[in-house]
Amino acid sequence: MQSSLSNPLRIGLRQERVIPPQCLIIFGASGDLTHRKLIPALFELYLQRRISSEFAVLGCARRSWTDDIFREKMCQKLEKVVSDNKKEWDEFAKYLFYEPVDLQNEEDVFKLGERLNEIDQNQATHGNRTFYLSVSPKFYGSGCKALKNAGLLKDVKKSRVVIEKPFGKDFSSAKGLNRLVQSCADESQIFRIDHYLGKETVQNILVLRFANAIFEPIWNRNYIASIQITSSETVGVEDRAGYYESSGALRDMLQNHLTQMLAVTAMEPPGKFVPEAIRNEKAKVLQAAKLANEIKPWECCIRGQYGSGGNLSNPLKAYRDENGVDPNSTTETYIATKIFIDNWRWQGVPFYLRTGKRLPKRLGEIVLTFKEVPVHLFESTIINPAPNQLILRIQPNEGATFKFEVKSPGSGMKSRPVEMEFSYDESFGEPSDEGYVRLLADCMLGDPTLFTRSDEVEAAWKLYTPLIELMDNSPWKLPVFKYESKTWGPPEADQLLSKDNIFWRRP
Amino acid sequence: MKPQLTLQTPLELPIQEISDYLNKLWISENAKSSGANTFSLVVWQPAWLEQYLVKQKLLQNPITGNLTPEIISIAKEIILKNGLSLATSLYSQELIDLLKNNPNKNEVEDLRGQFFESSISGLNPRRLITLAPTLNEKPQIKTFVSAYCPLGDDSTNQSICGDLVVIKGDTKSIHKTGLEIIKELEITSLPSWLWWNSSLDDSPEIFNSFIKSNQRLIIDTANGSIKRCLSVLSQSMTAKKAINDLNWLRLKSWRESLAMIFDPPHRREILSHIKDVDVDIEGNHYVQALFLISWISRKLNWEFKHTKRNNGSIQIVFTQNTEEIITKINPLEVGTSSIHSGQVIGLRLISKVNGEPSKNTCIILGSESVECMRLEAGGMADMQLIEEVVPNPFVTSESNVSQLLKSSRGNTSPLFEETIEIASCIFEGLTQ
Repeated sequence: MQSSLSNPLRIGLRQERVIPPQCLIIFGASGDLTHRKLIPALFELYLQRRISSEFAVLGCARRSWTDDIFREKMCQKLEKVVSDNKKEWDEFAKYLFYEPVDLQNEEDVFKLGERLNEIDQNQATHGNRTFYLSVSPKFYGSGCKALKNAGLLKDVKKSRVVIEKPFGKDFSSAKGLNRLVQSCADESQIFRIDHYLGKETVQNILVLRFANAIFEPIWNRNYIASIQITSSETVGVEDRAGYYESSGALRDMLQNHLTQMLAVTAMEPPGKFVPEAIRNEKAKVLQAAKLANEIKPWECCIRGQYGSGGNLSNPLKAYRDENGVDPNSTTETYIATKIFIDNWRWQGVPFYLRTGKRLPKRLGEIVLTFKEVPVHLFESTIINPAPNQLILRIQPNEGATFKFEVKSPGSGMKSRPVEMEFSYDESFGEPSDEGYVRLLADCMLGDPTLFTRSDEVEAAWKLYTPLIELMDNSPWKLPVFKYESKTWGPPEADQLLSKDNIFWRRP
Repeated sequence: MKPQLTLQTPLELPIQEISDYLNKLWISENAKSSGANTFSLVVWQPAWLEQYLVKQKLLQNPITGNLTPEIISIAKEIILKNGLSLATSLYSQELIDLLKNNPNKNEVEDLRGQFFESSISGLNPRRLITLAPTLNEKPQIKTFVSAYCPLGDDSTNQSICGDLVVIKGDTKSIHKTGLEIIKELEITSLPSWLWWNSSLDDSPEIFNSFIKSNQRLIIDTANGSIKRCLSVLSQSMTAKKAINDLNWLRLKSWRESLAMIFDPPHRREILSHIKDVDVDIEGNHYVQALFLISWISRKLNWEFKHTKRNNGSIQIVFTQNTEEIITKINPLEVGTSSIHSGQVIGLRLISKVNGEPSKNTCIILGSESVECMRLEAGGMADMQLIEEVVPNPFVTSESNVSQLLKSSRGNTSPLFEETIEIASCIFEGLTQ
């Protein structure tokens, strides 16, 4: 009997993009991201046989660990994955190395160069190096400078730097950071990571739009009435209060993940599928985007903060009661905003973006609502025929739904909405890779398509500048409304849409 | 015609001066550059068909080593006129023998080694070496050298990219001297590939010396006798030699399309009940079909039992949990055949669930809808039908080679390794 879990004919077919000889250097190797995302993603690539034998991962942090301690720590943290693939892990662990490095200490970074030469020789990694800065954002600039001073970024073709979000905290700091980083390395060497772009379903938007003739002709203001982009989390701030207090939902989610989804949804078709063509189109659409009311930005944005909630058996703390959070904090854990894109394709079509913590469901989706038919010929089983909707589900239950009207069974001629479904699970039966698997492979392959370019980052910050200025200078104009934990945000967010006679989709 | 890679005519140099010249070339052109850090590619480029057509005055263009539509059309005409099978390979000895008989002595310019498809030159090979054997049997060897720089979309930082060496001469001299030059020109720090752009029956002594070398091999098992093709593969496996086969690569769309059918989990049950498999091919060169059946059997854990020839077809029997699975390779004569011998044009899998005829399923993949219709005959419509058209697009060998150069890690694909093992076993059974 064949296993219904995997397709035996599929095994081994996904091997096209093998990573060339490479040494991946992770700064901040003792941190969370390394064992939660990076090492599991690299191990997955190893299991998929996409890593060549000329490979090494060099963990770097201030702790005075050795290669063996690093391997041991990773093994402990990845207990579940390791126990399922013990033999493979033992082989993979041989590629893991460790070097104590303080990026602020010049001597350490020079010593790192020597260690890298040694690894090059022993592992035959051909001098191909990817430096992953999984460190506090305040060290991005100085970290790049230290690498440059040690001559580690000299070879434009062989060395790359990967920088995690957040890239800056507003337009001017992002611009400054770009300038600093670009003085250390060529733009082609800089990979600004946004793990949302690594998601299969986000990439699928490009395929859906540009590989099907039926969508592109209607993907514009003539047919689309509005677009909603939602990314919601059920969890609260957890142990990230230190970081979150200084960022909030706008900087943590809206400026990067949601704005990237907006760019992919709204961009023009690129001339060809090459990194620069795609990034040009994304940058162009972001440069054309603006808040629905830049003069009175408070009229097109709602901020919220979760209050307590839950039930007797599982009470949930309010944000202000969380560990490490200021009891008078005005940091937003929810934000909803309305955006227009000033170009021929999207003139007048509102884009509503919302994200928040402690919402009822964890999900990411893009909802395209089409215009209503000009004349209602049929009576509907509900009040009015529902407009067609195309819902692209980013997570969970990745896929797409198309809602349209059909004749309701019976002798009359009433219409009712039905759904046409595409589900990744049902069609492919296998989970798609984690975003980091794709993105780590891409940066080691030197493919920047799914990484954000400096002008994209700057345009994304510029888009929200009126809101950031308001939050910094006159926060009372953009109050933070309370919402009960595990509800869909403050009621004021509903009013943002109801003014336009639209409602948030309740997924 | 493919773009000319070199801007200047390659310079003819005595053998002993080549290495020195190439070293100086980099220093004089750009002190900082030591050339592209990519790979070397050696191409065995006899272009026998083209050379004979030129000799016969059937072709007036300079010899480039590329299989142009003009060459294909002239060759097909000759095949038709002389009553050969329509599926005769353009690399076959039968075809060459026909051309050998006519004693014309036309000579034209030989530009082999200077024309490459941009799919290959765009990868910036650091060193391109073309071995260009001539029909002339007089012992003589000539070497030509040039620098080249393909102009891609992004031409920044590409002042000079690689160099190109052409070694021309009779086969014996190439074997004796040409291979020595290749050794000398090897860049040890870079991966090196050999593309055998000819029949595998051609010059076995030269091919065998490459099996012993460090080069990663690219061959095409659609060209050459079946016995020789499978023996080359086995030989490479035994020697643990990295080998890539364009004939296997061309099968990719079939493997992918078949896998795609079983991506939805509800269809996977069908795979447990397969009873019959038919593979239709163009002509009778059945290596690719053998690969397809071997790959399916390996993935579905079927055990090979025996094989025999049956009315022009080849029958291969497998078992799974004592149930027999009968697979057949059916050679077909088609009107317009591909230039690659023995291309798969149809695949049919029949799955039958004992006692539940409503669950019987027939899966048909055909290169054209006509082929699908052919496979539908014989009561297949009584079963649940899943059908797909898998066109065999014309892709040049150069494009396939560039795909390999781009993607391979330098070892034989594990899937292909497994397949070769079973295919060799079946072939052995067939020849016993």
